Amino acid sequence: MGSNTKKTKETRKRRHRSRSHSFEEKDSSREKKHRHHRKHKERRREKHKHEYESDDSDVIEVIPNDDSQVSPPPAPEISGSVESLSIKETNKLRAKLGLKPLQVPGSSRNKVDDGKKKDDLGEFYHKPAHSLTEKNQHEKLRSKLADHREKRSIDSKLSKVKLLSNEDDEDAIAWVEKSRRIDDAKKEALRRAKMLEELDAQFGIGEIVESEQRSKRDRQYNEKSLRGIKVNHDMDTFGERAVILTLEDKEILEEGDDVLININMRENERYQRSNENKKKKTLGHDDDDELDQYGNLRPKSLLRKYDEEIEGVKKDSFQIGIDNALAHKQAILQSIKNKLANKIVENATTTQLKIASDYYNEEELSKFKKPKKKVRKTRVKGNLLTADALEHSVEASSSKHGNKMHIDKEHLDFDDVPAMKSEIKLEDEVDNSLERALQKSRRLKQKRHISSKLPVVDAIKPEPAEESMELGNIVLNATAEFCRTLGDIPTYGKSGNREDSENLLELEKEDSDEVEIIEDEDIDEGGKWNAVDPNKIAKESSKVTVVETPILDEEPDVSSGVGAALKLAMSKGYLDKEENNRPSNSRLAHLQAQHYSIEDKTYGEELERGGGNRRERYAGPITDFKEKDCFKPNVKLEYIDDDGHVLSAKEAFRYLSHKFHGKGPGKNKVEKRLKKSQQEGLMKKMSSTDTPLGTLNMLQSKQKEMQSPYIVLSGGKHTHSTTIAKTRR
Amino acid sequence: MTMDLIYKKKITMIEITCNDRLGKKVRVKCNPDDTVADLKKLIAAQTGTRWDKIVLKKWYTTFKDHIQLQDYEIHDGMNLELYYQ
Repeated sequence: MGSNTKKTKETRKRRHRSRSHSFEEKDSSREKKHRHHRKHKERRREKHKHEYESDDSDVIEVIPNDDSQVSPPPAPEISGSVESLSIKETNKLRAKLGLKPLQVPGSSRNKVDDGKKKDDLGEFYHKPAHSLTEKNQHEKLRSKLADHREKRSIDSKLSKVKLLSNEDDEDAIAWVEKSRRIDDAKKEALRRAKMLEELDAQFGIGEIVESEQRSKRDRQYNEKSLRGIKVNHDMDTFGERAVILTLEDKEILEEGDDVLININMRENERYQRSNENKKKKTLGHDDDDELDQYGNLRPKSLLRKYDEEIEGVKKDSFQIGIDNALAHKQAILQSIKNKLANKIVENATTTQLKIASDYYNEEELSKFKKPKKKVRKTRVKGNLLTADALEHSVEASSSKHGNKMHIDKEHLDFDDVPAMKSEIKLEDEVDNSLERALQKSRRLKQKRHISSKLPVVDAIKPEPAEESMELGNIVLNATAEFCRTLGDIPTYGKSGNREDSENLLELEKEDSDEVEIIEDEDIDEGGKWNAVDPNKIAKESSKVTVVETPILDEEPDVSSGVGAALKLAMSKGYLDKEENNRPSNSRLAHLQAQHYSIEDKTYGEELERGGGNRRERYAGPITDFKEKDCFKPNVKLEYIDDDGHVLSAKEAFRYLSHKFHGKGPGKNKVEKRLKKSQQEGLMKKMSSTDTPLGTLNMLQSKQKEMQSPYIVLSGGKHTHSTTIAKTRR
Repeated sequence: MTMDLIYKKKITMIEITCNDRLGKKVRVKCNPDDTVADLKKLIAAQTGTRWDKIVLKKWYTTFKDHIQLQDYEIHDGMNLELYYQ
């Protein structure tokens, strides 16, 4: 209803305003409109209790809707432009709609009054302050209660305690009597027990009881019954202390003997095992020796880290009463004692000081196992041979070849030599060259042997005594020895001591004159120091003429390598030497500097003067090197590509450029260049005078053959063609 | 109830103005924990249109029927746009 009154007020005000004509801009346009209808509206308002706007105003009169279920009642009052219901009306409406009533601030405030105080903004509640008086009262009450409780507890305690003073006299007498009674009872009991025992003894009951007890004790579980039980620990782990063993857990269905263990010891074992495993992991533990607790080396087995995996975990165990711990221990001690007895205890005083040597001494060497040396056949050299040894070797060789050659110390039978020769020749046909070479060396040895015997066998070759003496007196010194050994080393080329070719020749000649061979041996010795026999010199000179070097060289072996092939080519003149190819100095003379000289003298003087003309210092020398006048280096820089062609400057540049950039030419370019080079090659091959098919050559030969200055191009049928050819010609 | 009042804001009636700009403008009293549908019914009661034909909007948000006014943060004295569908 309040709102209604407000509205009426407002209208009144409006009326007032209109009268005054002081209209404010703030007022809505709606109100402006009202102005026009004011006069007839006013009257209506007076008439109606509720204010209704005319239909030309923007606020529409609400007509109640009858068809709606909710059936809202027609708005009871519509004031001005805004229709609004009062709280009461709204509540009624809400009740109809099934909503809870409006919450009016006044009503709710009554409910919320419970000692809490709101702050200034009305948003938060404050906790009420403590009241001190109340607190004091509480405390007083509490203390009073506590006092009472204490008093009560003390009272109850005191009530229980008996007072001694009241019954002092009577009690002392009673106590004495009581104690006396107890004493008597005890004595009586003792006496009765004694009597009973005596009775037992009389009837022999005591013995029966005793035997019974004994049998019981026997049946009891004792050490004996433990005999044979297995204990799953190492015997040594038990010390002097007593260890409590328990039966090991096992499966219910598992059959087998009971096993005793101690859980603590089992734990220790597990710990040790894990420790060992760790060690194995960290170190390559195979290398170092392991000692057991008594200092004995543990027997090593190959790859023992896999032992447990293969054979399962090894468990130390013993059986009570069967394995004797004491004996075991003593055996171990004994072994230790033995070891100590064997050991020589070393200390500084007993051991002698020795200088350490880099080499083994003989004892050590003998200990050291030497690898068996392959016995190599030592080549027996002539100068080292004794006569006997030689003879043996000769015999061996001859017997091997089935030769009947026999050499006596006194009698040298040279008739056998040719026979042997033939033998060799036979073998030549069959055997390879190696065999032949061996044969030859053997032969030489034999000859040497013979020659060495020559001075001994004077009977065959009579010679002047003095000269033979001279022969024997060879002065040996270092140089001589050196030269002698030099002679033994076969050298290649014409250094003098190569005997092969000569020997071959000689061997062939041996058929014709034997004596000559014998005398020839001295020469054959080659590089060795020989005693020169003046008598022989003439013969030797004649011999030299006989010995001819082969005219034709051996056919060169080109297959051995490129080098050999090149050599051959060089010798045959297929290849020119590089020098010939080089452009001569004279040809390049025009390129050489015209005014190039060195001024040595002035250069130094200039410096001394204090660097007179600085520019000239860098101008270069003025005079020539007189002594180097002829020195004109001929430098030619050539580039060769992968195929070996010499490149021109342009090509070389391209080649280097490609190499430098790491990027080759394109496919087309490469093809083009290849084609070009091929064509060039063809061009070079092609003769300049003829076609590639050699037509001209053929034509000429044909003409020669036909003896005619022309040639018929077509077959015989076409005669007119010949005529044409004729006419052409 | 008292516990609620301690911890929650005190719920009091609010008044909302709804205006279709065609000549209907109503002020409606309601609780903030009323749903939009309830508000619509109240408006319908006042204006005489069927409540299910009413669409309430504020700018471009159309209010949904099942949601409480306080959840849309509709406070006392707010203006809502009234449309018809």
